[in-house]
Amino acid sequence: MIGGGGIGMVMIVNLVIWTGLFLYLLRLESHVRDLEKEP
Amino acid sequence: MSTLSVAGRAWRWALWAWISICIVGAFLYAPLAAKFIGQSSRILFFHVPMAWTSFVAFIAAGVWSILYLWRRDPDQDRAAAAAVEIGLVFCFLATATGAMWARVMWGAWWNWDPRQTSISVVLVFYAAYLVLRGAVEDLEARARLCAAYAVLGLVVAPFFFFVLPRMVSFTLHPDAVINTRAKVEVESRMLQVLLASSLGFNVLFFWMHGVRVRLLRVAARRAPQVELEEVPA
Repeated sequence: MIGGGGIGMVMIVNLVIWTGLFLYLLRLESHVRDLEKEP
Repeated sequence: MSTLSVAGRAWRWALWAWISICIVGAFLYAPLAAKFIGQSSRILFFHVPMAWTSFVAFIAAGVWSILYLWRRDPDQDRAAAAAVEIGLVFCFLATATGAMWARVMWGAWWNWDPRQTSISVVLVFYAAYLVLRGAVEDLEARARLCAAYAVLGLVVAPFFFFVLPRMVSFTLHPDAVINTRAKVEVESRMLQVLLASSLGFNVLFFWMHGVRVRLLRVAARRAPQVELEEVPA
């Protein structure tokens, strides 16, 4: 069980994971766009 | 590296901000639910939207499959396959977060509760779709068989997500958001975060889906023997 003091840390971990996934998706999409342009 | 248009970049960053606000809302804005141990009710804002998103993905896969059977457009086949793949990811995450919550509330990760059982059936059903996809070599036959299978999912998914868990009375699982009396009895701030989070996860799904379909299209162009090619009009 998570204590009240740790809840901020859990929130930050969630934000870091989400931001990492988001940046990965942006990068992957950019890579796909480059592949689509290849003849 | 290619660049996105301003609008394309804007909605993606808006999604980042939206889901970030949902995360902050889940931890700092929404109150704790009654009858839940400690902070465990906060997992609701991730667990339920993930389950809903996986349901949307599986229904979308069924709809794209119907479109494939109708038009025989390989893009519809790819869209259905991508929806199942990403839907499975969301379904697995919903199952995993449910198991974490069960560990806190019920003392065990897995209890064979009707909801846990029904979601595991859904997981196996759609995992079998991917097995089927990998097992048939003929591309046309593969697309047709998988489409028929995903159309069957239009019955299987609603039954196991919504009907079966409401038919059995012996469940440890708390009431669904839309409960057995067909009412929404969730505290308003919790409902706001829950709906906002669900919207965010669904937009995220369609973004991921779009990227996956484009990747499959590139793969088809590069290796037409392993992926269905567009048929020239």
